[in-house]
Amino acid sequence: MSILGGGIFKGMKVTLWNFVLSYFRRDRLTTNDYSWRPDGDLPQGIGDYPKEEGEQLSDTTTVTNYSRNFPMLLHDGGEPMDTVRCVACQICERECPPQCIYIEKDYDENGKYIKRPAVFDIDVSVCMSCQICVEVCPFDAIVMNSQFELSTPDRFGGLLVRRDDLLKSNDYYHQIHPEEAAARDQKMAVEKAAKEAKKKAAAEKAKAAAEKKAAEAAMGDAE
Amino acid sequence: MSLVLIDILIATVPLMLIFASLFAFTTWLERKALARIQNRIGPNKVGIPCTRISLFGLGQPAADGIKMLFKEDIVPRGADRLFHLLAPILALIPAMLVLCFLPLEFPWTKSLLPVQAFLLDGAVIFFFAITGLNTLAVFMAGWASRNKYSLLGGMRAVAQMVSYEIPLVLSAVIVVMMVGSLNAADIVKEQTGWNWYVFSPWGLAAFVIFFIASLAETNRSPFDLPEAESEIIAGYFTEYSGFKFALFFLGEYIAMFAISGLAVTLFLGGGDGPGLAAAPWLSVVWFLAKIFALIAVMIWLRGTLPRLRVDQLMGFAWKFMLPLSILNILVAGFAWHAQQQNSKTITVITWVISLAILYGTASGLNQLNRGSVRPRKYKYAE
Amino acid sequence: MNEEIAFWKEIAFWILSAIAVLGALVAVRKRNLIHGVFALLVFFAGLSGLFLLLLAEFIAAVQVLVYIGAVGVLLLFAIMLTERVAGDDDRRMTSRGWSWGLVMAAAVFVVLLLPPILQLPSPEAAQEIKPSVEELGHKLMNPYVVTLEVLALLLTAALIGAVTAAQGVRMPKEEDSPE
Repeated sequence: MSILGGGIFKGMKVTLWNFVLSYFRRDRLTTNDYSWRPDGDLPQGIGDYPKEEGEQLSDTTTVTNYSRNFPMLLHDGGEPMDTVRCVACQICERECPPQCIYIEKDYDENGKYIKRPAVFDIDVSVCMSCQICVEVCPFDAIVMNSQFELSTPDRFGGLLVRRDDLLKSNDYYHQIHPEEAAARDQKMAVEKAAKEAKKKAAAEKAKAAAEKKAAEAAMGDAE
Repeated sequence: MSLVLIDILIATVPLMLIFASLFAFTTWLERKALARIQNRIGPNKVGIPCTRISLFGLGQPAADGIKMLFKEDIVPRGADRLFHLLAPILALIPAMLVLCFLPLEFPWTKSLLPVQAFLLDGAVIFFFAITGLNTLAVFMAGWASRNKYSLLGGMRAVAQMVSYEIPLVLSAVIVVMMVGSLNAADIVKEQTGWNWYVFSPWGLAAFVIFFIASLAETNRSPFDLPEAESEIIAGYFTEYSGFKFALFFLGEYIAMFAISGLAVTLFLGGGDGPGLAAAPWLSVVWFLAKIFALIAVMIWLRGTLPRLRVDQLMGFAWKFMLPLSILNILVAGFAWHAQQQNSKTITVITWVISLAILYGTASGLNQLNRGSVRPRKYKYAE
Repeated sequence: MNEEIAFWKEIAFWILSAIAVLGALVAVRKRNLIHGVFALLVFFAGLSGLFLLLLAEFIAAVQVLVYIGAVGVLLLFAIMLTERVAGDDDRRMTSRGWSWGLVMAAAVFVVLLLPPILQLPSPEAAQEIKPSVEELGHKLMNPYVVTLEVLALLLTAALIGAVTAAQGVRMPKEEDSPE
């Protein structure tokens, strides 16, 4: 059993250490760092971020790989809407406690439902970063991003993040949350292998049943 | 000129000046210290006006004061104007009044004609009585704003302050019991020579309970639910702007000083410290230094702990602190009787037993009050 | 020096009495309940000051602590939970038989209060009495301990009753099983 109030003392030690070291090591002052902008200016809006694949986002390199802010949609490389994992099943929309997600399914020319979202909006001013959407997604399509420089002068639509801004590649996910991304990839690989094995077993069983039927038909023919 | 009035002025005006300037310094210190704990620099631009010298932002409290003086004074339409005005005044007066009961022995008061001004025989209980007037001010502020969230914040604040008054007073009763007098000067005299009450198990438990209850009385983190910004904007002083807000702010900090002063008097020996025989005026310095140490711990705790929810707050007061403080009184009573025997072995045994009892009870109450954590259940995803 | 202290004591007495009487008058005449309660609290504060003038520090402190801090807050909470608190106008309340009320008040004063006032010891003799908390404690523990215990029992009963009343009444469930 731990000492009564031991957690409080541990916390106080951490804050004291923070206080003392902030005088000696300048790089501990993480929230003052705008080093990624060449001119040192503040960003003006959400779209103002480097969006090319692989470009380092400094506001995520100064935070740890456990930090999270609001969600992002994953795609597996290439053209985002071709390899997006989200199928617009709307489970995260229903489970979200403050109901900040708005999803519309995508239909092709014949009116059939194709498995992509046409509209996927998250109101970041409402999102409380609870991660419930990440926990319930059956396709591992939505995970937490750690960008935090989101201020915008537009009061009414500025904090509504649309689908195209939410799509980020799996490589970016590996960059910001390496352990979590690796664990998720491994889980997906295991599931895929299990599915493949099941399909193979079912195909073998079907082949065996078909052979048996052919053999019976042949026997019936022979008689 | 009337000698009595001059005496009263000489006894009170230095207190007000000293503590008002300490208040300014404390706001600056708090902002810088919290900022450094949170990995940022605090205010560091405002220094000497009209120059470029920024003395680490020491001019910031003055700038804040001037800003608040010049702000527009907004009273909501339909609010009770008289009470809207009276509430910050009523919040400030008890805090300042109670500073007079602290046994600060300024050297110049000794040379004057004796006036039965502030070293009352019942100083300790007056302290608690007048600190209780803070609840009224909070209530008035919440009511007068004509804002249901202010009212809610005010009611919660009053409930919190009233529930934490009981462990506060009960833990002070221990010291009064040991000394046998309610006089603050007597209590300080009993503790001279490093004989402080905090160095005994029951005294230490009482000090911890007193400190936590004083954090709750002055609405300080982690008990700052009534005035938290992310909860109900600012709770009971949402509708206050400008100078009235400054008065509330001042009242809260001076109440912090006053309660820390009482904690120093009761448990930490008042003005006791090295070098008193040579220079008696050092007692004031030691007193203020100890008050500052307690304020620093309060600021440190504010930077460390998350806020308590209102049911956790009330549960903590009634289910943990109250039984513990009552048991503490019992233990202290037995220990006092044991110490009257003047035998070293009995004293040691009493210390060990009381430590065991107090720590065991605290842990036991902690385990009893521990809620259970259940896994989250989803409605749509299964 | 002593005359000066006596002079200031006199001034303090008059100011405190004025505060107390005015507070009581406003408390009974205001239509707005919250204003009335706060005026009552001012009255209690004036009383506490008067106790302090008589050097009864403990009683003064307990008056503030109990009356203002507890009873006052209780009254405010009770008023908060009722509706129609702020009266529509601050008109003074008048009643029809107020002259008879005045006669009754004078009669009560003459019958109940005047004899004890006339029999009080003179101010010079009163200076000799020094109230002390230790004396109070001794009296509470030795001659009046039964009173103390009965009061404690009463307060405990009130506390338990309050907790029970606050838990609410549980309506008995309707039995809808086919029996």
